Amino acid sequence: MTTSKRWRTISLGFLSLYLLFSLVPILWMLLSSFKTHYQTLLLPPQLIFKPIATAYLNVFLGGMGKVFLNSLEVAFIDISLALLLSIPAAYSLARFKSKATENIGFWLLSLRMAPAFGVVIPIYILMQHFRLLDTIFAVNAAHLLVNIPFAVWLLKSYFEDIPVEIEESALVDGATRFQALVHILIPMSMPMVATVTILTFIFSWNELFFAFVLTSSKGMTVPVLVASLAGSMTFNWPLLCAISVCSMIPAFILAFIVQRHIVRGLTLGAVK
Amino acid sequence: MNTKDKYKFLGPTVLISAVLVAFPFVYMLYTSVQNRVAFQPYAGFAGIGNYRSLVQSSEFTRSLITTAAFVIGSVLLSLLIGLALALILHEHVRKRGLFLALLTIPAIVPPAAAGFAWKFLLHRDVGVLGGYLLPKLGLEKAILGDSHWALGSIIVADIWCQTPLMLLILLAGLQALPIEVFEAARIDGASYWQRLQRITLPLLKPVLAVAVIIRFIFAFTSFDVIFTMTRGGPGIATQTLPFLGWKTGFMYYDFGQASALAVIMLVITVVLSTVLVRMVRT
Repeated sequence: MTTSKRWRTISLGFLSLYLLFSLVPILWMLLSSFKTHYQTLLLPPQLIFKPIATAYLNVFLGGMGKVFLNSLEVAFIDISLALLLSIPAAYSLARFKSKATENIGFWLLSLRMAPAFGVVIPIYILMQHFRLLDTIFAVNAAHLLVNIPFAVWLLKSYFEDIPVEIEESALVDGATRFQALVHILIPMSMPMVATVTILTFIFSWNELFFAFVLTSSKGMTVPVLVASLAGSMTFNWPLLCAISVCSMIPAFILAFIVQRHIVRGLTLGAVK
Repeated sequence: MNTKDKYKFLGPTVLISAVLVAFPFVYMLYTSVQNRVAFQPYAGFAGIGNYRSLVQSSEFTRSLITTAAFVIGSVLLSLLIGLALALILHEHVRKRGLFLALLTIPAIVPPAAAGFAWKFLLHRDVGVLGGYLLPKLGLEKAILGDSHWALGSIIVADIWCQTPLMLLILLAGLQALPIEVFEAARIDGASYWQRLQRITLPLLKPVLAVAVIIRFIFAFTSFDVIFTMTRGGPGIATQTLPFLGWKTGFMYYDFGQASALAVIMLVITVVLSTVLVRMVRT
């Protein structure tokens, strides 16, 4: 009994330590975002101080609101198009089974294996041709390339779990396939549709590389702003912390809403 | 089943997947054998020229080694930590849901923000770790300015971002294992370690393989954290292959050579994943 008790203590200790490791970077940014620039420079750091919200005011009054709007726009266009295109595709892959469709399902995910800088070159050349560089459309095109296959993959496996008989009885009663999809299958799949929506949002909102390569100023998204400020030589620590904290909030809120389903998405559908 | 319906639904799907997946792949392959520099006139077919000059460059070799160190360090450590956390959460803890939710948080933080957070913590002058705690422990160094420590730091930041993924996959795998086997073993008097070695890990092998493959792909193509924390520096000490790819493609605008590098990386990924899947099957 004593050894098992000792292991229990060790494992709880490890768990607590790792939890500390996970949370400290976030909490430290949160704390520092309420400091003055001078206070962030002090070592040993001040843990107790009078919080001020100047940094947050500067984020939104200093012209960076536009960047957040860009990110929101990209995310919403991305979600709408991803759902519109992936639901029928997932439906057809789930319901009209053949050797070929099985392979398409896997083929769709294969793009994830390629490094982003290779995938972005064709998009870059296309966007350059259509003079769409540095617009949110370019970013959207790149994001959809990742999100649609992913959404199709997740929705397909969810549709497969819904018994065919339910739709078939609707078809016998004279409904078209399209009506069966819209009125029966989609309402029944709401948990997965919500999950896909939120995962698309999180991917789009967090994504740095495509947005960074395809935009330079007008179409800039939040991660690009964070990365370029973090790489500059003059640091305004509270401001950077405040931007980073703001960049984390939307995904946090959404992820907690669909916590249970999100696991499946985060693990690329490897886990049901 | 109505065939007309079938084509009505499948047609667009096939088209979408062809356009979305095939186009980038084919174009990438095509570009990799062209002399193609952006904003310059087309300079013709290059054959394997891009591949040859890439593989012969010392920067490629150096980046390959850096990438190997980064990938092995990050994948192994996050696998071990993820497995340990999954086993602990599977066996011991009350309030599992709360722990799980808190431990998953890093997975949804924008990697750019995560990179900044670590850069801030490790900063030589203002970072609470790099400027205060570590010097107190006797490590008087600019962590991100030293080539070995910088590589270690990006590994730590990557582990921070990616371990939740390992934990989630492995915990789900553990919870899907048949409970009867474990009860039988317990009744027969097998200790926890015996059960872990003889039953849990062998049964978990397929899930472990999936976890490692996904994790490998993410680490191998990782860019965000490195870019935000070190920009490949000091010098090119933390320049991994994706970073080299970005530099080739979007600082020098040599699309041909960047595509060649992407193709090489893709081949490495496919080969290693296949080997891993084969290893698990036998």
